[in-house]
Amino acid sequence: MRANYRVNSGVRFEVLSKDQLQEMFDGVLHVMDKIGLDVHHDRAREILAGAGARVEGKRVQIPPHVVKRSLATAPRSFTIYARDGNPAHDIHIGPGRSHFGPGPTPPNFIDIETLERRPYVRDDARIVATVCDALPNIDFCESLGTISDVHTDLAASYEFATMFPKTSKPIVAWSYGWDDSNDIHQIAVAEAGGQEAFEKRPNYVHYCEPLSPLVSTFEAVDKVIFAAEHGVPVIFTTCALAGGTAPVTPAGIIIQTTAESFMGLVLSQTIRPGLPFFMGGVLSVMDMSAMILTYGAPELSLMMAGATELAHYCGIPLWQTGGCTDSKCLDEQASLEGSLSVFFSALSGGDLCHDVGYTESGMTGSILQTVMMDEAIGYSRRICRGIEVNEETLAVDVIQDVGPDGHYLYHDHTMRHFKTEFWYPNLCDRRNFEEWDADGQKPMRDRVVERTREIAATHEPSPVRPETEKAIAEIMEAAEERVKDKS
Amino acid sequence: MSQILEQIATGIIGGDIQGVEKLVQKALDEGQEAETILQNGLIVGMAEVGKRFKAAQMFIPEVLRAAKSMHGGQELLRPLLAGDKAGRAGKIVIGTVQGDLHDIGKNLVGMLCEGAGFEVVDLGFDAPPDKFTEAIKTHQPDIVAMSALLTTTMRAMGYTLKAIEEAGLRDKVKVMVGGAPVDAEFAERIGADGYGHNAVSGAEVARNLIEAG
Repeated sequence: MRANYRVNSGVRFEVLSKDQLQEMFDGVLHVMDKIGLDVHHDRAREILAGAGARVEGKRVQIPPHVVKRSLATAPRSFTIYARDGNPAHDIHIGPGRSHFGPGPTPPNFIDIETLERRPYVRDDARIVATVCDALPNIDFCESLGTISDVHTDLAASYEFATMFPKTSKPIVAWSYGWDDSNDIHQIAVAEAGGQEAFEKRPNYVHYCEPLSPLVSTFEAVDKVIFAAEHGVPVIFTTCALAGGTAPVTPAGIIIQTTAESFMGLVLSQTIRPGLPFFMGGVLSVMDMSAMILTYGAPELSLMMAGATELAHYCGIPLWQTGGCTDSKCLDEQASLEGSLSVFFSALSGGDLCHDVGYTESGMTGSILQTVMMDEAIGYSRRICRGIEVNEETLAVDVIQDVGPDGHYLYHDHTMRHFKTEFWYPNLCDRRNFEEWDADGQKPMRDRVVERTREIAATHEPSPVRPETEKAIAEIMEAAEERVKDKS
Repeated sequence: MSQILEQIATGIIGGDIQGVEKLVQKALDEGQEAETILQNGLIVGMAEVGKRFKAAQMFIPEVLRAAKSMHGGQELLRPLLAGDKAGRAGKIVIGTVQGDLHDIGKNLVGMLCEGAGFEVVDLGFDAPPDKFTEAIKTHQPDIVAMSALLTTTMRAMGYTLKAIEEAGLRDKVKVMVGGAPVDAEFAERIGADGYGHNAVSGAEVARNLIEAG
């Protein structure tokens, strides 16, 4: 037997030590207790006061023991379920598991036929959901845009109503406030077979975005209350700019955004202890020349890795960021920035990594970028699986079998492992020059566009139940009625 | 150029907020004309800052500190400058529109406009239409600048413009808009006079609106 033998089943990667993490956690507790946050929501302040917070005007200060109580009730591991019961599309949140998907709300979209940038329209939500459903390394779905060709107040409702039947992968739903959150929830509940069934097998996640520095806006908080009251797993994530709306240093921005996120944690856990909660943050730098929130900066990946470690140190999952770029088109910059951030995110084990397919610093969604990143995620996942070490994989007996001057191609050992040990690309071309030449010398970007168009045209996602189809039509009809007098 | 004016220009470029104020006071004590200090000291420095920013040799935090130094110096000179505008480029009322709490972009434009010689009245964030119309009546600005980050709150720019029209104030001010989801087409659709695609261009648009009269 072996005693005290340690196994690494993946690649090890750490940014922060335990001591550094504790110092940062102490910083977060200090910010929440001594500085506090502004909460623009009367009822939320009442709930927080009831939980032990000190409230003065809009300012809410939360003592450490209240934060720690909320951390104790929030789960580290749980499952978000595929709406159709397909276990391959379930998402198991837990240590060492990274999941990937697109992001919400860019105003523009790259048209997959013309390849031009234009406003995001309703049919784009169908394309994004269909393609995400088919991509092997995309685990959850978001829309990559705000629908511009419906009533403004219904953009989020139409987005969910359009995507839900086109993918059985869990959707991370974005909304403006209570009413459209309710539209979305009614659709999800219709498919689940009622509220009780939904609570047993939640099939979507709700996304709420407060404001940096240290402001919980009415809408963000209202949505957390909605999610908590309806048992919807919830993300509370700020989008902070280091040097602009957050400290310029990585440690400083991590502390601030964690405190911002913990406001949602305490609120959600007070209303419904045990509700799955994702700590957030898109943490990046404000480019001091271009004045944009950079989505391709190395600091983004580094700060997100630090935030991931802090979340896990606190025992909760993190809403990660990667696969995004500042590039305006599908080019070498998009590939470099997207791939490196995807790899870093996979290494750090961030639980749900979003914004795969963000381009132009979050101004334009591109499903082409998502398709290219699907390849980078597969590549990264292979590396992160690490090196397995046991009698079988050490293969000393196989080396003896083959001996000097032999080859391994006939060997059973090769047959047993070559399909699982090796990762096979969908888009990277490994053929020789002559074959590549005969096939039209296509560069990567042409192959990405071809694959995207092919999936969008041919993939058939598993349908929703006929009752759900009917419910969606009714819910959207009622929603139109609700806003018909609003300009 | 005299040595002290050169030092003032250098102080602006270096973003030396207290230093510039001291130097301007010293120049005044030495008997330099306010107009000379403005034209040959402060503006020379700020023009160089603009050049260096465009050439990517300076960054936004440095530009903002330079603008603040410029502003401090100008305030000292203001009572001594001739003309009804007293050396001001114009007056701007600026705010983030109703329903929107995002104000970093609006703050940037405000700071840069101040550095460009504008008097800036900041209405803060979540400013309803009547706050804008009241401010126009009270402050009589040349320009009203509105900002929004969200596609939903963007609409409030249109509502605010409508309120300005209904209050009979539209011909008294130029209106400019900006913010991440805003584009030139949207600005035109709601009837704004100008649109800035980022903070620096926002300050330029303000200057152009004044020059165009």
